[in-house]
Amino acid sequence: MNSQLVSIFLTFGSFAVLLFIIGIYCILAGYNLIRALIGVELLIKAVTLFLIVAGFASGHLELAQSLIITMIVIEVVMITIAVGIVVGIYRKTGSLDARNIRNLKG
Amino acid sequence: MCLALILIPFFSIIILNLPPREVNKRIAFGLVLILTLGQMFLVFFPGCNFWKMNSGVFGSMLKIDLLVDNLTLIMLFCIGLIVLVTLFTSRQFIGPIEKQRNFINLLLVVLIGMNGTVLARDIFSLYVFLEITAVASFILISFDKELLGLEGAFKYLLLSAIATILMLSSIALLLILTGSTGFSEVQAVLKTLNPNNPLLILAVGLFLAALFIKSGLIPFHGWLPDAYSSAPASVSVLLAGIVTKVAGVYALIRIMVSVLGFSPASQAVLLLIGAVSIVLGALLSLTQSDFKRMLAYSSISQVGYIILGLGSGTALGIVGAVFHIFNHCVFKSLLFINSAAIEKQTGIRDMDKLSGLAQKMPVTGLSSLLASLSAAGIPPLAGFWSKLIIIIALWSAGYYTYAVIGILAGILTLAYFLSLQRRVFFGKLTREFINVKEASFSLVFPMVLLSVIIIGVGVFTPVLLDKFILGLGNILGG
Repeated sequence: MNSQLVSIFLTFGSFAVLLFIIGIYCILAGYNLIRALIGVELLIKAVTLFLIVAGFASGHLELAQSLIITMIVIEVVMITIAVGIVVGIYRKTGSLDARNIRNLKG
Repeated sequence: MCLALILIPFFSIIILNLPPREVNKRIAFGLVLILTLGQMFLVFFPGCNFWKMNSGVFGSMLKIDLLVDNLTLIMLFCIGLIVLVTLFTSRQFIGPIEKQRNFINLLLVVLIGMNGTVLARDIFSLYVFLEITAVASFILISFDKELLGLEGAFKYLLLSAIATILMLSSIALLLILTGSTGFSEVQAVLKTLNPNNPLLILAVGLFLAALFIKSGLIPFHGWLPDAYSSAPASVSVLLAGIVTKVAGVYALIRIMVSVLGFSPASQAVLLLIGAVSIVLGALLSLTQSDFKRMLAYSSISQVGYIILGLGSGTALGIVGAVFHIFNHCVFKSLLFINSAAIEKQTGIRDMDKLSGLAQKMPVTGLSSLLASLSAAGIPPLAGFWSKLIIIIALWSAGYYTYAVIGILAGILTLAYFLSLQRRVFFGKLTREFINVKEASFSLVFPMVLLSVIIIGVGVFTPVLLDKFILGLGNILGG
């Protein structure tokens, strides 16, 4: 890799890692279910960015782009189901607090 | 042509949802029956044109590379069998015909996802099909819209999303290292790399962690007992029988054998996680009183054996692992059908409140005894042979400690299954259960079918061994 490529890789790569850390924090801190889903979304965004940087760095940008289009579709389906489940929980318990749904113990 | 295993269920879903919907409701059951029976039938003819690669018009339109070898064939058989059994079980538990049609649609989505997972020849396609399977299972777990089901589904969803993210990070790292996502291309480049490359170690670690979460191994097992025990009865059969086996364990075997290859470090991790899961899973299931939760923990313990077989890294170990997947599919779905029958007939799942049911439910009692003994590895039932192969493989590869752990944990397995039998089926029949009847045909038929498979495979293993089972080992070389 030449120096310009390395600097681009490091810039975007470190931003992806930063997003990853924010996402993990968002899932772990607090008890709101929607907040956990936002954390998952942030993690997926971090991975998307990482994947496109990986495609750029390895010189297979078109492969990475086609993968990401597929991935975005799947992610949207997944998060729609997740929100549906959260709405179901809200209808049953009247709150979005994860502490109210501890009937099952690991 | 084997693309048809994905496309025919796909078009079936479209047809089932077209008008006239009144007619389609009635053909739904028969359609899935024919699909699964056809899939199981084709597996017995591995030489026929169906499994050839040239996929004709569809193959040129859809760029999905598919792969057929012995491991794929045996998994396709398991998928067909368990989906068939689930279909029969669902007739008892999924109420009105409108809901049954929804259930069958979702069952077909799971079928597409699992067939695709076992046929995929590319890491990214593997991810896509794993997600299709997972998303359909989230809906199935919360199918009754009960709070417990929703909670189990949410836990599964959150951990599954994290597993997906780890897997995608690993795919990105492999893309940097090899510039490709196909199994054979990645494997070819990885063989030339230095095994101490930090990026490679990170990629392997992330992929293994993702698949450990998906297969629910200790210490990543948090979602598994909740999801199994909160799901509707017929969905538990599907989940425990095949979904987590395909999504976690099959994917793990495929990735280790066909992509990443074994290294001393990854073998050590597999062996350690396998042994911990066997012992802790068995100990935890001893303490449970809920029928389905006990079965869920025993599932963790049995998956531990599969991982232990894989961790030996030899062809014999992988043969044992795959054979144990097959046996596990059969006996664990049989046990979940037994629990479903008991829940249906008595309304109780707490094992301490049940007793003496073997007198009133002879088929359920006998088949659950067979399944328990097969799981505990009592000869000549099927489970004995697969455990024997795994332990021989471990011993001959020089992992004496793990082989001994495997043998000793068999005693724990026997302990919790006999405790189950004693509490639920033996003992005195209390007055409460004097009017309990045997379950109806749609539950008895799958029980009998699976019991026959357990006995048949067990008795004929010495005959089958040379012909079919040892042939599995060639996936390592190929």
